[in-house]
Amino acid sequence: MEKINIICVDDDREILEAVNRDLSFFSEMFTIEECQSAEQCEQLLETFDAQQEYVALIISGHFLPVKSGVALLTEVAIDSRFIGTKKILLTGHATQADTIKAINSAKVDGFLAKAWDSDQLIQMVKELLTQFILEKGIEYEPFIKKLDAPTLYRLLKS
Amino acid sequence: MIKKNLKYILPILFPLIIILLPADSFGLAGLTLVEQRVMAIFVMAALCWVMEPIPIYATSVLIIVLELLLISDHGLWFATNGTPQLQGHLLSQSDIMATFASPIIMLFLGGFFLAIASTKYRLDINLARVLLRPFGHQPKYVMLGIMLITAVFSMFMSNTATTAMMLSILTPVLALFGDKDSGKVAFALSVPVAANIGGIATPIGTPPNAVALKYLVNENSISFAEWMAMGVPFVAVMLLLAWLLLNHLFPASVNAIKLDIEGTFLKTPKAWLVYGTFLLTIILWLLGDLHGMSSYVVAMLPVAIFSIFNIISKEDLKHISWDVLWLVSGGIALGLALDKTGLAARTIEAIPFHHFHPLVLIVGASMLCLLMANFMSNTASANLLLPLVATLGASMHSLLPYGGQMVLILSVTFAASLGMSLPVSTPPNALAYASGHIRSSQMLKVGVILGLSGLMISFSMFFVLHQLDIILG
Repeated sequence: MEKINIICVDDDREILEAVNRDLSFFSEMFTIEECQSAEQCEQLLETFDAQQEYVALIISGHFLPVKSGVALLTEVAIDSRFIGTKKILLTGHATQADTIKAINSAKVDGFLAKAWDSDQLIQMVKELLTQFILEKGIEYEPFIKKLDAPTLYRLLKS
Repeated sequence: MIKKNLKYILPILFPLIIILLPADSFGLAGLTLVEQRVMAIFVMAALCWVMEPIPIYATSVLIIVLELLLISDHGLWFATNGTPQLQGHLLSQSDIMATFASPIIMLFLGGFFLAIASTKYRLDINLARVLLRPFGHQPKYVMLGIMLITAVFSMFMSNTATTAMMLSILTPVLALFGDKDSGKVAFALSVPVAANIGGIATPIGTPPNAVALKYLVNENSISFAEWMAMGVPFVAVMLLLAWLLLNHLFPASVNAIKLDIEGTFLKTPKAWLVYGTFLLTIILWLLGDLHGMSSYVVAMLPVAIFSIFNIISKEDLKHISWDVLWLVSGGIALGLALDKTGLAARTIEAIPFHHFHPLVLIVGASMLCLLMANFMSNTASANLLLPLVATLGASMHSLLPYGGQMVLILSVTFAASLGMSLPVSTPPNALAYASGHIRSSQMLKVGVILGLSGLMISFSMFFVLHQLDIILG
């Protein structure tokens, strides 16, 4: 079975723990990593790339020390090694300018307000993981329990 | 730890033992080295397909490469320099490699081209939309419509792709059912059931049929139309049975169901070309006797037409299910080796099958295939059983009153497609199970009933056809 990772980035430990708790639904088949800064996330990305592991999803807060979440996700978006990696921005009070950048430059796949609904987060992650797996041509069968069935039906052509 | 690695250890250990034992330890008089190696390859293939340490198509590739190394005339030096008497008959390398492009593989390639083009030009979804209309809104009849269309599509498209498309149509409908409404189960199950059954109806419906074609040769050879003449009535009866069963077990309590499929038929020149080619290919397949072209030759027409007009682009080519083609190739190569080295005949001779009543053999082999197909890939089951069954059928004269080799091969082939009682039995089952609307016990119940009654129906159908002299023994 392929190794597929999910990375969560936020400097607030409580937020990280809350996200992690919600994502425990996926932890049986996906590895969930926590980072407290954009730099840490970048290091992790390098490591995964060196080990040829997939990074399916990055869930990042926006207001991080030194480098912002949108800047991080923008870098990921233009990095050819991480084409197809899904990105969710998790933010309490991003300005309109940040939001515009998040969509235009970072090409985020999802936007989640802080104080999110757990089911909503799980559903969003399910859909994005299903998309990632089918787009990358990874065999979906081993992961099928954690995927979103309607998305799977829609994208499955052969 | 050992238990976890058993699936890696056994497929290496057993074949090694077989290859290292002296040739006279198998109780098969005159066993040659080449036959012994084929036996080891067969055991390896069986263990790999059952335990799946590697993907099933990889097992097929491994079979072909091992055959090239160990039993081909251009294989490894120590495998080819024995004294002819001990060593036995080597296969030519081109015969083994040709399994990658055997006419049966080309037939499937043609089928894939038709399927990809019809999906790309939305022929499938638009046909589904139009064809579902006459079935109204009553859940029972909507389900009948869904099942008929799924079955018809899976005759020409892959069962998996058909299932995905139909479940995609059904998803919004299933969401409208109440939590307690068992009709949801019936609908979610109707699609994989119809797809699994529908594949039986044509030679290109599902890969086990392709494997069977390999063994239906000479006086047993069967045309596209002849296959359909047996397959379509069988599928029709099975669908009716499945529909009644699902309605009985899981009645729906909603009164009306509205399927919302958007879209119109594409009317671009290319789309017309796709419609025309699709129709032409099917007509030519059915009228094989009139124009003289075999179904294999006809299958190359859509390949040529769609390539010339860029209907199937370079990018689309990459999405052809090469794994399915290779899986079948490996099966053909395995059958070739068993047959050409003489191992199959020698083994069958050594077992006193002629003491058995021929019906026991037909029923026994089909039941075994049904059982295997429930737990492993249908194609792999057919790959393993059909070469042996075909040799057995050819050597047993007591089978003749019951339709001979052909009935034996077809029963086992149909049985391979009837294995559908577990989520892991077939990809359509896995997809439907992922919808979350079905419990595995429900799937088991439906699958076991349909599997066993399907065997009975196929036996009786072949019996009647034989009595009517439609199948000659």
